[in-house]
Amino acid sequence: MSNGVYDVIIVGAGPAGFGAALYTSRDRLKTLVLEKLMPGGQIINTNRIENYPGIERIDGPSLIQSMQKQVENFDAEIKTGCEVTKLEKLQNGNIAVYCDEENFTARAVILAPGSSYRKLGIPGEDEFRNAGAGVSYCGTCDAPFFKDKQVVAVGGGNTAVEETLHLTKYAAKVTLIHRRDEFRATKVLAEEIRQKANEPNSNLIIKYSTVATAIQGEGKVQSIKLKNVKTNEEEDYPCDGVFIFVGMVPNTDFLKGFVNLTDKGFIRCDCAYLRTSVPGVFVAGDCRIGATMQLATAVADGVVAAMMLKEYFRNPDWWSEPVSDSLAPGGW
Amino acid sequence: MEQVKPIEVTDTDFENNVIKSDIPVVVDYWAPWCGPCKMAAPVLEKIAGEYVGKLKVCKLNVDEHRDTAIKYGIMSIPTLHIFKDGQVVGQVTGVTPNYEESLKKKIEPHLG
Repeated sequence: MSNGVYDVIIVGAGPAGFGAALYTSRDRLKTLVLEKLMPGGQIINTNRIENYPGIERIDGPSLIQSMQKQVENFDAEIKTGCEVTKLEKLQNGNIAVYCDEENFTARAVILAPGSSYRKLGIPGEDEFRNAGAGVSYCGTCDAPFFKDKQVVAVGGGNTAVEETLHLTKYAAKVTLIHRRDEFRATKVLAEEIRQKANEPNSNLIIKYSTVATAIQGEGKVQSIKLKNVKTNEEEDYPCDGVFIFVGMVPNTDFLKGFVNLTDKGFIRCDCAYLRTSVPGVFVAGDCRIGATMQLATAVADGVVAAMMLKEYFRNPDWWSEPVSDSLAPGGW
Repeated sequence: MEQVKPIEVTDTDFENNVIKSDIPVVVDYWAPWCGPCKMAAPVLEKIAGEYVGKLKVCKLNVDEHRDTAIKYGIMSIPTLHIFKDGQVVGQVTGVTPNYEESLKKKIEPHLG
């Protein structure tokens, strides 16, 4: 490090960020990882990981703690509670990274900010969520608190179906509402949930073509306002909790105007080298176009970005070259 | 700063350890399956060390001590309650940016 300039700053301490940091720090590049919350990202909500090659079974926090220790062994620096608010390409080619209270500069940046739960954006959602008073985005996390209670789940994709089935093990009654008249989830899951609803005395009700318009209650969730999109009929539907499973959004608001994003907020890149629209700024993980949102691919992205970064350090003009057959040591 | 292990409290000793405490108490409602709870734990140990004698930090396993969790309306973890003179005077749900700092800001006004 010279004049307080890092070789690389990695934004986000999830699997993608740690994958990148492991490679850059082992290459003796001065590495700083910035994380707005605490290490881990989405994977810490997972209690059972069985699809990471080489590890039969592990929980998210244990895996992340091990990843963190591994990169710290190679002297990568990790700052938590440090939210990046803005980035800027400087005249000399370096990149300035601005946080709430501190600023940093690096020769290159790897963006790995990940994704968050998508919100419905209806009245009551944030209030009850922030108060821990009955709105949740994670069935695996919060289902046990609704034992013998009535809950409403919202969504129609794979996660919505899986999490709703999980809820039926705890709650007295689960109502799944979906805005369309059929599920987006894979056939196997869609069949499973329809079967579950059709069982005699089932505790699961499915309401198709229905949207939620408000979450209501005094101090805690007591009802949800539902609207049938075909008939426009509205009803106040009593419940103790609302579980929202409507997908993920990339955490890229702070990057608007810095790198090119898609309309949905994903970072545009060339998917071979993970270069963004700004020279010296790479991307890795859930937040990029073409992301498969998997633990193993997030780690892999981090590694690719770290390898390609060396190419950029050798020759900054490489950034504008098209994806090449001769980049690998033996060509391909 | 020295890290201090929080006191494990139960349905049975909640009254003595928390409600009747002479100094303010932070109760961390957690469960072994809760990933964010595990990641937040070191921050609480640090806070327990920093405010020794002024603040008590307790942990309640919501799987094993459901009655207390239900009594205090816990519907999401991690949730922290700040107790003073037996009353809940503050709450933090989830892990927020600048977690340590924001916890301290919530706690400090209640310290004698």
